[in-house]
Amino acid sequence: MGHIGTRKIMIKGLWEENPVFRQILGICSALAVTNLMLNTLIMGVSLIFVTSLSCVTVSILRKVTPSRIRMMVQTLIIASYVIIVDILLKAYLPDISEALGAYVGLIITNCIIMGRCEAFARNNPPWPSFIDGIASGLGYALVLLAVAFVRELLGFGTVFGYPVTPSDMTRWTIMVMPPGAFFMLAVVIWIVRAAGSKSDKKEGGAETAAR
Amino acid sequence: MKRNRAFSVLYMFLITLFFGTVVSIVYGLNQDRIETNDRIKLEGIILKVLNISVPPGVEGQGVLELFKNRVKTVQLESGPVYIGKSDHGAGTVGYAFQLSGPGFWGPIHGMMGLGPDLREVLGVAFYKHSETPGLGGRISESWFTEQFKGKMLPSSPAPDEVFFRLRPPEAVKGANEVDAVTGATGTSKAVERLINASIHRVLPQLAELSGKRIGSK
Repeated sequence: MGHIGTRKIMIKGLWEENPVFRQILGICSALAVTNLMLNTLIMGVSLIFVTSLSCVTVSILRKVTPSRIRMMVQTLIIASYVIIVDILLKAYLPDISEALGAYVGLIITNCIIMGRCEAFARNNPPWPSFIDGIASGLGYALVLLAVAFVRELLGFGTVFGYPVTPSDMTRWTIMVMPPGAFFMLAVVIWIVRAAGSKSDKKEGGAETAAR
Repeated sequence: MKRNRAFSVLYMFLITLFFGTVVSIVYGLNQDRIETNDRIKLEGIILKVLNISVPPGVEGQGVLELFKNRVKTVQLESGPVYIGKSDHGAGTVGYAFQLSGPGFWGPIHGMMGLGPDLREVLGVAFYKHSETPGLGGRISESWFTEQFKGKMLPSSPAPDEVFFRLRPPEAVKGANEVDAVTGATGTSKAVERLINASIHRVLPQLAELSGKRIGSK
């Protein structure tokens, strides 16, 4: 196992192997929580927290965990952190916990976390795994924020709840409904892939397709 | 092979025990806080629909204190009823009761406050639901709930009385018609149904309760 630099891992998580627009992971929540920026931000922070800590834990236990039951162990670890996040949100940020509702619990099923545990943390020491978790979480959060920005702006005329467009502008209600999420996500993936297609060709296409 | 299998089982058992314990400890440490938060929220809502204003700057424990002084809880067959008392003593400012029923995605819970005459709506709030954030979820926003304020229930409602109707925002409204939520027809229909059903469920018992109270004085 060659040593991988922090910088390299960050670039991979944020761009080269960005979970959302490269690997098309975590799409369910990307569609569900992106109609308001504040909800998206808290969701992103929660995901970064859960992913990084799950990766560290999986990494610390990587030498003792029997590989046959590793999926069970990973799910257990992820679920524990998610429930902890849920409890902390309920205790300290009740309003936001309210707004996110079931989506916090659903972080457990986010493929990004399991994906990073399987693909990276299982074979790497704790520190790089931690960075990898942060990078993937950040990659997810930034894409979601970009999508949420457009959806909230066009759908409600606000950014983080502050009105920015003239009040007589017609609201695009479709943008805050589920179809708007599909359109926006597709547009983001299209733009990013078009912009990045040159560098892909040079490296011979390092894309991995999954769910 | 055999040893290996036994180790897997033991390992899973121990790691489950460990994480189970950690989560329980985190919950134990925050349990009081979470319960207090829930109570503050619920009692704040009851005060709001009873039109008992919480002075600016009062929050958290202050809300609980105000609730204790101004609201009396009575258990009826249909659920708890919260009786708002006037600032200094015996007078009743209103009755609050729960609105509940199935929504579009899951159960919706709300609260309605009626004046002492059981006709004037003092306030409405929806505090627990799983409707789509930004769409059906907007039923808990004030522009929606404020519409009910000041509306009057009929003095002798028919058994199949429709107390409130939710209509498209651009439609011309009758006396007991309010704006529905745009883009959330399912939620709006569900809310209309559950408001009317809840009022029908509670009103007879409420009338009995208030009659007794007036009679006993």
